[in-house]
Amino acid sequence: MLSCREVVNHADRLLEDDLSFSARIAIKFHLLLCRHCRRYVKQLRRLVAAIPFMHNKATDEEVHKVMDCIH
Amino acid sequence: METDKLAQLRSGDPVLFAELVRDHHRALIALTVPIVGISEAEEVVQNAWLKAYQAIGSFAGKSAIRTWLGSIAINEAKMQRRQRKRELLFSDHGDENQNTEDGLTQRFTERGHWQHPPAHWHIDSPESLLTGEQLAECLERLLAAMPDNQRCILEMRDASGLSFEEICNALTVSASNARVLLHRARTQLFKLVDHYEETGEC
Repeated sequence: MLSCREVVNHADRLLEDDLSFSARIAIKFHLLLCRHCRRYVKQLRRLVAAIPFMHNKATDEEVHKVMDCIH
Repeated sequence: METDKLAQLRSGDPVLFAELVRDHHRALIALTVPIVGISEAEEVVQNAWLKAYQAIGSFAGKSAIRTWLGSIAINEAKMQRRQRKRELLFSDHGDENQNTEDGLTQRFTERGHWQHPPAHWHIDSPESLLTGEQLAECLERLLAAMPDNQRCILEMRDASGLSFEEICNALTVSASNARVLLHRARTQLFKLVDHYEETGEC
């Protein structure tokens, strides 16, 4: 069976649905049995979903500057 | 994006477009800095906004708007770099001093089982996970200290949703190297959030 470390190393590809059939089955089997890795994969998925929101919004000044150039 | 809003945006509604600028401008700047440098990124993104405004009628809504804008900004950055005959600032080497194993190594036993498993995270929404006041400050420091090439791939792939094909094309990096850099960047973020969720500090 895969170790937890191996699951962590394959988790990016799991999220991208970019694993061979056998690798996917091996990870799914591990996840059935290991709550720590289930938590890791679930939280990694949520982290990746949060990254597009990590930048602050632009200030009024920045927005005006862009809009002035457009018009 | 809702259909009504998309239709309004495609008709060139300036108020909605200004909202887009507010939501995505900083991300586009971060996306182009590794390609053209900080001094030219603003000009590049300004040109990208102009192109986006002219083309917004053709945005079909099949990809996320950030990804659509990101592709325009990347193309603009590549064009500017070619015109000015600048070297690409990105290098997929240069972080050999970083821990080359995954950054969670110390959290596993020798046999590869969790010794220090992840904490339980309290997540209300994707929008709120990284934007809490204290965490946002720590995240900013972490991103500033992150090797440029890792940050670059993180911005392109995760913050803007560009495909690995586009990334490899823009940066002349192999897909396998891009994946390694992305994994390292994500791991740093994971550790930051995990520590914060566990201890309330970062």
